[in-house]
Amino acid sequence: MMEKLLLVDMDKCTGCKQCTLACSLTKEDLFDPFRGRIKVLKKEDIAMGVQLVCEQCESYPCVASCPNGALSRDEETGIISVDENLCTSQGACVEACIYHTIRLHPETKLPMFCDLCGGDPYCVKHCVPGALLWVDRSDENEKLKKKLRSNRMAMYRELKKEVE
Amino acid sequence: MYGHQGKILHVNLTDGKIWVEDLPEEWRKLYVGSRGINARILWDYCKDPDITWDDPRNIIIYAPGAVTGTTAPASGRTSVTTVGCTTGLYLKSNTGGHWGAELKFAGYDHLVVHGVAKEPSYILIQDDHVEIRSAKELWGKDIIETDKLLKKWHGEDSRGLYIGPAGENLVRAASIHCSLYHAAGRGGGAAVMAKKNLKAISVRGTKPVRVKDTKKFAEVAQEMRDNLRADSGAQGLHEFGTSGSIAAVNEMHAFPGRNWQTGYTENVHPISGQALNENGYLKRRVACFGCTIGCHRYSVIPSGPNEGLASGGPEYETFGALGNGPGIINTEGVLILNEICNRLGLDTITAGTVTQWAIESYLRGVLSLEDTDGLELDWGKLNEVKKAIEKMAYRDGKLGNLLGDGLKIATKKVGHDSYKWAIMNKKGLEQSNVETRSAKAYALAFAVNPRGNDHLMTETFAEFGSSPEAVEVIEKITGDKKWASSHYTEFRAEIVRWHEDCYEITEALGFCVFTSTAAFGVNPDNMARLYGAATGIELSEEEMMMTGRRVCTLEKAFNVTRGATREHDDLPWRLMNEGAASGPLKGETNSREELDKALDRYYTLHEWDLKTSWPYRSTLEKLGLKDVADHLDKLGLLPTE
Repeated sequence: MMEKLLLVDMDKCTGCKQCTLACSLTKEDLFDPFRGRIKVLKKEDIAMGVQLVCEQCESYPCVASCPNGALSRDEETGIISVDENLCTSQGACVEACIYHTIRLHPETKLPMFCDLCGGDPYCVKHCVPGALLWVDRSDENEKLKKKLRSNRMAMYRELKKEVE
Repeated sequence: MYGHQGKILHVNLTDGKIWVEDLPEEWRKLYVGSRGINARILWDYCKDPDITWDDPRNIIIYAPGAVTGTTAPASGRTSVTTVGCTTGLYLKSNTGGHWGAELKFAGYDHLVVHGVAKEPSYILIQDDHVEIRSAKELWGKDIIETDKLLKKWHGEDSRGLYIGPAGENLVRAASIHCSLYHAAGRGGGAAVMAKKNLKAISVRGTKPVRVKDTKKFAEVAQEMRDNLRADSGAQGLHEFGTSGSIAAVNEMHAFPGRNWQTGYTENVHPISGQALNENGYLKRRVACFGCTIGCHRYSVIPSGPNEGLASGGPEYETFGALGNGPGIINTEGVLILNEICNRLGLDTITAGTVTQWAIESYLRGVLSLEDTDGLELDWGKLNEVKKAIEKMAYRDGKLGNLLGDGLKIATKKVGHDSYKWAIMNKKGLEQSNVETRSAKAYALAFAVNPRGNDHLMTETFAEFGSSPEAVEVIEKITGDKKWASSHYTEFRAEIVRWHEDCYEITEALGFCVFTSTAAFGVNPDNMARLYGAATGIELSEEEMMMTGRRVCTLEKAFNVTRGATREHDDLPWRLMNEGAASGPLKGETNSREELDKALDRYYTLHEWDLKTSWPYRSTLEKLGLKDVADHLDKLGLLPTE
């Protein structure tokens, strides 16, 4: 288990997308909001930004959902990786993710997963308002992480309902 | 291409032709981007003085910056350039929001709209797919409804730019909005769009932005981000928004009230960013694309008869023009007026300034009850101000039609020396809420601003010396820290000219001007390094600043073709002739004598003719603008050296 964890606070997010751009830069050497492993769901009329990023969750339904067994999970860190030879880009994992964090890469069509940059997440350095924090793992912070996630998911459902 | 996308998209609404041109390599070196290249395009298409704002040959250009779409902090802004409706002169207005970045991701650095559509239309851009569509269902709709429909048709992730009913009605105070609450507000660009029958532009883009040297680029961007993180000005902007400074400005007796008859309001607190925070109005802090400051507000009235009323802002200028100005010292009052302006598509500065003029005109008996359609205008009357603004937006009744024309036309219609309390200069744009009588660099900057007297073609905030970084800027320009006080008249021309160049390159790259001239994280040195890393075009700090000078001179030359001379570089009559009401500079004016001295020095620094204010041929040629000199020569508008 990593000694630190990522806190993702919707209330501090200003919706600027620095995190997404930073991610595409460090992973792909270019700037593209579609290639960020972290994305910001932006709802302009209520000035809302909701960050969506792999939670390294305990249930990881994405792995089981893949008909080709292309996804695997590192038991130590919870990070998901893709076997490029097995993935057929059908998007079952995209549908399965309960936190709505998975997108397919616009060119390779492979699902993209946050790997926490190996323990030094690049996005966090870009988040000046402090909506992304890389903090020591503790019971308290684990609880806080889940609370913040639950807030984001509640908002996500509300926004999606409104759009439909 | 690196930094830029390398493409200019042209749309001709008259014949429906749509084409794409390559961005000339030379322009990237001479004009950098956004505002700079826009100025060049406007010159090329509209240098003939017969092309007025409402001529079908007038064009309107939209452009994100050279580094928009990247992690350079607060670099997501967009310049909109055209022949302005309010002044008839050069107009550049700049907006935040997320629309410009989307245009960049669609693959374009500039969008140039030509001609006039036969029926209300909007432009749809989805990467390479560009289409002119009927806007019959959008025409008449307000900003909120328009955005909603565009998102319904083209996806929640599409980004819209649009005009509201005020723009459709050719109101001079109308603003171009994008991302709902952000605006290229000043100068009447919305009326230019309306004249073209252009209601909106919806954009969706999926093309990445690349930079030449990613490692170096990331380093310089990190330096800028760190600078801004540490800057007290930027911190204040995040915490309290632009209106966080109101208490301090008021303490300087420099917060204009009652149509600039007062500078100090005893209980100013309700109309400040602090009040928004303390009393539960602030719902969220919001950032434009890529901005690490996040100064924008989203405010909601939490309870009472107006519960749930929500909108973007209010900004400093709105608390000024619609609060302190008409005497509405009431948080919710300003929130209500701000919401109306955002919904109908009005620039709060002009809407407020015009309304204040109407109130004073009525109180002086120059406007009758018949002229005001029965409104008994007075200071502090929220309902009357609200009605006046709604009338203005719809040109409803006698008052609505008068105010809809803006001060330049309205003062001529009304006569009776009403120009004396009209807060605009000879160019005809309503002044923004800076007390120029006690800020002498601002005064000069406002007077020479090519689009009229406001703070948005250059900003000389550093002259107040309110932070160590500000003092450093003044020391760099003048050689001595002691000149960092806005009351001095010495070195103001030097301060203005430096800030013109700096402000221009800030906008050309796509940065918010707060990053370089209100907070001090972005500067000519790191901008030059960033531009090099982004594009591979290596310019020294001085060369970078020179591109700013080139653009400012080109903008000046454009105004010369429209007949602008030295006499257009002045300040509102009231500020030149009536003393400030109170405070350390009580009785102080922007006197003719003081302004003339500053102008002489300013034109001398620019190497422009003192009598006419026009650039010499040699000045233009030194900046690589020989073709501009030739054209002015043909028009008989080159001064003899």
